[in-house]
Amino acid sequence: MHLMPLVLYTAAAAAYTMHFAWRDPRTGRLATALLASGALAHTFLIGMQTVQVGHAPLVGTTAAVSAFVWLLGLSYLYLELRTDERAMGPFVAVMLVALGIIPALDPTVSPRPPVLRSPLFTAHVVTMLFAYASFALAFVLGLTYVLLFKEIRAKQLGVFYARLPSLQMLDVMNARVVTIGWICLTLGIGIGAVWATQVQSSPDPRAQAMSIADPKILVALVCWVVYTFSLLARQAIGWSGRRAAWLSAIAFVIVLLNFVPVGYFLTKSHNF
Amino acid sequence: MRLLTVGLSHRTAPVDLRERVDFARKDLDAALRLLAERNVVREFVILSTCNRAEIYAVGDGRPTADLLGRFLSEYHGVTHADVAAHLYVYEGDAAARHLFRVASGLDSLVVGEPQISGQVKTAYAAAADRGYTGALINRAFHCAFATAKRVRTETGLAEGAVSVSYAAIALARKILGDLQALDVLILGAGEMAKLTGVHLQARQVRQITVVSRTFDAADSLAQTLGGRAVAWSDLGRALTAADIVVSSTGAAEPILTRAQLKEAMRPRRGRPLFIMDIAVPRDVEPDAADIDQLFLYNIDDLQAIVQENMARRGDQVESSERIVSEEVARFAEWAQSREVVPTVVALRRRFESIRQAEITRLGPRLAGLPPEAHARLDEVTRLIVEKLLLTPTEQLKSVNDEALLAAYADALNALFRLAAEESDAQTPPSRPQAAS
Repeated sequence: MHLMPLVLYTAAAAAYTMHFAWRDPRTGRLATALLASGALAHTFLIGMQTVQVGHAPLVGTTAAVSAFVWLLGLSYLYLELRTDERAMGPFVAVMLVALGIIPALDPTVSPRPPVLRSPLFTAHVVTMLFAYASFALAFVLGLTYVLLFKEIRAKQLGVFYARLPSLQMLDVMNARVVTIGWICLTLGIGIGAVWATQVQSSPDPRAQAMSIADPKILVALVCWVVYTFSLLARQAIGWSGRRAAWLSAIAFVIVLLNFVPVGYFLTKSHNF
Repeated sequence: MRLLTVGLSHRTAPVDLRERVDFARKDLDAALRLLAERNVVREFVILSTCNRAEIYAVGDGRPTADLLGRFLSEYHGVTHADVAAHLYVYEGDAAARHLFRVASGLDSLVVGEPQISGQVKTAYAAAADRGYTGALINRAFHCAFATAKRVRTETGLAEGAVSVSYAAIALARKILGDLQALDVLILGAGEMAKLTGVHLQARQVRQITVVSRTFDAADSLAQTLGGRAVAWSDLGRALTAADIVVSSTGAAEPILTRAQLKEAMRPRRGRPLFIMDIAVPRDVEPDAADIDQLFLYNIDDLQAIVQENMARRGDQVESSERIVSEEVARFAEWAQSREVVPTVVALRRRFESIRQAEITRLGPRLAGLPPEAHARLDEVTRLIVEKLLLTPTEQLKSVNDEALLAAYADALNALFRLAAEESDAQTPPSRPQAAS
């Protein structure tokens, strides 16, 4: 059962790629159906894990990656339904498969240590993951913007020109998802800070390590600075279009680095 | 009764003849009415575009086709000999194939052009609204629309602009999104500027501003396009406000320098600007193309896109023809099954008349029965007839061979004296109602 979401995400990635290549509407609908089935299977899996351990499976990086994949899948499906655009599908689905491998390899759900038994912890993780999912979409929108921009500038109208929506639409959507992500990130960091002060007295060494010096927290703050700059620069000095696209692409690389390698190997405060 | 196409197009007739037989130029309504009055055919559609004049009808092959050809020449006052040499006639499946190819843009001068599908729809609606179409024509045209839709969505035949103005408009859309929210600046008041302006106006851009060295010329063009004219001295401000610039002046030197454009871009704060420089010699310094958020395309760039699109469309013809063949086969199957309908109807009528006659004959003997028993008797006899006819009806409808079908129909006609039955019932055999 725990492999089912990954299998369906992989099938969806293949179908989205085929749809991107040949633009057969039936393959497009199949891709959406496969992705929706994958997200549904993932919902069941998370539900089963919740029943099994008695709390939301959000403890540890592996569980967080799983929840992130689930949220990203759902957010993308929402975006697709709203815009009727499937051209971003292959990029998102490939990301779902790449990250979905991590929880598929280790399906065990970690028990919740006493220090994490707080609604603030759940709120912190959910808002952070929602922010990351939004930034992942912004990354795909930014990446596709740059690819289309380069084709139009080089006057070589080809693959992306024929498939992607307009630069303006990609830019507007990028601004929207970055704004949503930024709000979630701000809330997530704020809730995390409040919760960290509450657990300072806990004997758990990880609670003790909650400080700005911890790489995970530091890089999260760097991400917040970068996204804040991206939003301000768009408003104040007209950093929209290509610059905003590059910024959202680069910023998500930092998010991803913080999420996976830093989460697994470097942090002393978030290694549950 | 088969589907017929009689007409001429850019493939068979020179432009001066096509101009003379253009139904649209005269009065299509009058043509439809006159053709109906002639009583040559009962179902028909007249399709008339600048590249073709065609009549689609249902009739009996060559003789009907000749009459339609004569109508075409007589209506336009052209001698028949002049027209006849350029006419083509298609019958049955070939007529359907021609119609499907026309609707899909495969028979167009510019392969895959999008207008033809709309023109076919309009032509069909004009005839259908006045009651000049029947089962066969209706089915043929609806199949043609479905074929055109499949070709459009499943192949790249209609993709990519194949004229410079369309290429420029498609590019503007890809860069800037919805054209209705955009402001256009036209530089120059010549013919090219006017043509592009008309194209943009048709797409309902938000505002058109015209700037020219001579204000009067700018003003006159602005009035034609429903826009406004601005003095040459205000060019900088107009540039800053515009989303699309169409430059087409007759200036010998560039009128928009890189420095000037960089200056105009500054207050825009990242808002993209699309410049189409369709002037020769060019109006915009080529090195302005590297300014951030500025997209500069000159006439050669646009023409290169058109060339590439044309080549790409050529590659899609084969897969489009395959779709047409599939749809023609489907239509032919339906048309064939429809041909057995008169025989089936006659057969059913024959059996029903026997049933009724027997019940009437037995009437006096059954007079003592209660009404329920009468109803039961009627129902049982009807069911027997239905069951007896079920297998032969299905067998007839499944025959795919035209000759075999004719042989079966002849045999049934002879064995059950169906022709006599038909004339007894005085029903016209020529216009059966199709079971679609």
